[in-house]
Amino acid sequence: MSSGLSLQPRPVPGPVPAWAFPAGVEGRVPAGPATLRCDLPGRRLAAVRLVLHAGAGREPVLADGRRLDGVATLAAHALTEGTEPGGGTALTAAFERLGASFFAHADLTALRIALDVPTTRLGAAMELFSEVVRRPALDDGDVRRLVRERLEEIAQEDADPGSRAMRELRAVMFPAEARASRPTGGGRASVEALQGADVRSFYGSVVPAEATAVVAGDLSGVDADGALTAALEGWAATGGPLPTPDRVMPESAARIVVVDRPGSVQTYLSFGHGVPDRSHHDWPSLTVAAHVLGGGLTSRLNAKLREEKGYTYGMRAGLLRMRHCGLFIAQGAVHTEVTADAVSDALTELRGIVSEGIGADEHGSSVRALADRAPAEYETARAVAAELADVSANGLGTDYPSAYLAAVRASTPDGVARTYRKHVDPEALTVIAVGDAEQIRDPLEKLGYATVTVTAKE
Amino acid sequence: MAEQPLHEHTLGNGLRVVVCEDHVVPLAAVNIWYGVGSRHERAGRTGLAHLFEHLMFQGSANVAEGEHAALLESAGAAFNASTSFERTNYYETVPVSHLELALWLEADRMGTLPAALTQANLDNQRDVVKNERRQRYDNQPYGTAFERLCALTFPEGHPYAHTPIGSMDDLDATTLEDCADFFATWYAPGNAVLSVVGDVDPEATLAAVERYFGGLPAGPEKPAARPGGLGPLSGVRGETLDEEVPSPAYFAMFTLPTDGGDEIEAAELAVEILGGGSGSRLYDRMVRRDEIATEVWAGVTRLASGPSLAIVDAIGPDPDKIAAVLDEELQRFAEHGPDADEAARATAQAERGFLEQTETVTALANALSQNATQFDDPARTFTAAGRAAAVTGDAIKEMAGRWLAPGGRTALTYGGTS
Repeated sequence: MSSGLSLQPRPVPGPVPAWAFPAGVEGRVPAGPATLRCDLPGRRLAAVRLVLHAGAGREPVLADGRRLDGVATLAAHALTEGTEPGGGTALTAAFERLGASFFAHADLTALRIALDVPTTRLGAAMELFSEVVRRPALDDGDVRRLVRERLEEIAQEDADPGSRAMRELRAVMFPAEARASRPTGGGRASVEALQGADVRSFYGSVVPAEATAVVAGDLSGVDADGALTAALEGWAATGGPLPTPDRVMPESAARIVVVDRPGSVQTYLSFGHGVPDRSHHDWPSLTVAAHVLGGGLTSRLNAKLREEKGYTYGMRAGLLRMRHCGLFIAQGAVHTEVTADAVSDALTELRGIVSEGIGADEHGSSVRALADRAPAEYETARAVAAELADVSANGLGTDYPSAYLAAVRASTPDGVARTYRKHVDPEALTVIAVGDAEQIRDPLEKLGYATVTVTAKE
Repeated sequence: MAEQPLHEHTLGNGLRVVVCEDHVVPLAAVNIWYGVGSRHERAGRTGLAHLFEHLMFQGSANVAEGEHAALLESAGAAFNASTSFERTNYYETVPVSHLELALWLEADRMGTLPAALTQANLDNQRDVVKNERRQRYDNQPYGTAFERLCALTFPEGHPYAHTPIGSMDDLDATTLEDCADFFATWYAPGNAVLSVVGDVDPEATLAAVERYFGGLPAGPEKPAARPGGLGPLSGVRGETLDEEVPSPAYFAMFTLPTDGGDEIEAAELAVEILGGGSGSRLYDRMVRRDEIATEVWAGVTRLASGPSLAIVDAIGPDPDKIAAVLDEELQRFAEHGPDADEAARATAQAERGFLEQTETVTALANALSQNATQFDDPARTFTAAGRAAAVTGDAIKEMAGRWLAPGGRTALTYGGTS
């Protein structure tokens, strides 16, 4: 080595310091939403999250059979247009003046409204927030324009290999009667038909008493509970109840579906299998199994497909959370030419836990990676508020984040392998391949894993 | 935010060190900026700085292949690296118990990386990087827009005319010797800044840094960088693309003042007012009122040894109309400047941006490394909101007239009427 180089021996780290997920103080706005206040000293950016039980899973079907797919997403977008019909930039400008950011989105479970603002201006921002939540305009003209923008977003999402793969995975795995089989934000046909009245009726049916409002940040000297009550007390539903979400489960079976994307220089691969929902006691162990497979650079899929073969920039595996079930998904983009080899190698890894179990080292590494990164993962008020809001939306209770981390730590290599075997059958995976069908179809057939079908990109 | 006290020190071998206490969480963020990026690459070897970044994870004299990631993952660390025009950044946020291990890992690869350079590692990471290029740029709609705009904006051979990902041909041509030379030229303590932020004791941390890095040789003087300046653009230099994209679109690039002076602060606010979100002028005009676009966005890339860059992109059926309306709005802005409310809003947004960029130990460590590397002043991190607040409407107007005038930009047109 270079002259003058002198190195120290590798240090041996001590134990990781203790850390606990921040506790929230529960309350309730009289006859209104449940509240959670979480004081996080030193966090000068406060986060407010209002979770409404008005996700895409509760979108109505009209008497004439028209499904209002996408109305929850559209309602979220329309909320940010403000309280005056055609109000233009007025609402955004008002939030901007406070240095605040206001946004909303819907998933299958909930419609989520979010406000981030320096703690010094939390009160003023909450007053605006209140106006919007109670009296949004949801105006016909704005909705017409937002429909157009949403249609463009759908086109962009479908052109992105990763999001196109996710859309297909759900469409293939869930039976047609499941809302989860169709895109959360709606498809082209359903969105085109949506109107202001649909959006107003949907939002008017939200039941405030079912909602949860979370506020997190450095709340010293701030009456956060008072601000939440002032903002949300007296807010009432005006319409009939929204339908109950379906609980139709995904169907796992061996199949390969190619979404044809002619000229694609890579194939986006997605391997899916149904698993139980997050309230199931096996969920923590399943997250450990997914991490062993595709959680980081040293995980089995990346060790093989990236670091050994150079097929991909990276693979990842994880669990998709839905309220009534979960999906185990392993995914990543591989060079077109090696598509079938990559699927073959990935299947070998996905089968490996079933045939050979999990080693103590890789188990310990995954447990520490999942549990010891929590302080960094929940460093901001935004992250804490979003997690508490999500837990509430899924009916899991505010002690869930701590209980989950404890269960991850308590898991064992054999227990994790057993849980994976119980819930994921590597011979019944749905494989989506978004890529150039002409180049990848035959090689995928030759793998002999499952019948290959080809579907058009649109 | 109150300025947090910084503890600075320069080691005998030239490594600059910045330490900042932050006891909110039991973490330590370690962040190293090396003063080398794609602007330092030579012709025929574009992409080398970034490819080399990947090799930094393949082991060093006392770290086996894959061990860097294994040690950090099993500590629950968040870690990664990034390469831009001007610098290469390595970082890990670890439980504070693992701070010394992180320092040791960084010191080992700073001092002994060539011991682990092998043809097999180079070939493997070259394939990984080529797949990164495919995934992030070649296989994404509009994915090569930034790269194409840089090639249009800067003269051929200019340090900023190519982007960090590099070309497939150059990646293929890169040899093991290129990598060893690159390390020998640029990866020295004197061309690096190390920041540590978190639940640490500053004295003990500086001592640990001295212990782990103090024994690394200083290395050679780094070569003088090629000049990177470029003034405001005149005329519209454009390219029409026949790529398969979901919708027609118009992408534009403007040069802006170099980071570090007053003018870039005005430029940042100007671009925010013009295209920073749904309250901006371009969004209001194109999306809300004229309905000629379904999406408009504008943003700034600050550069410290070349011109900063502004990008405006809009998706809509008629890119020519978008270009014409963009000119109208630029004309109006250059003539009248922002109104008082627009300037106040942009300043308030800059304040929130500052809080976001300094609220985590990871982000704060990065900001300290950046300001130390580029401006020799890590404490400049804490003046960001104040610098934005000090900008007047007149300064914004003056800057816009010079740098954001109608008819001075490069542009890409995807599909559309022409």
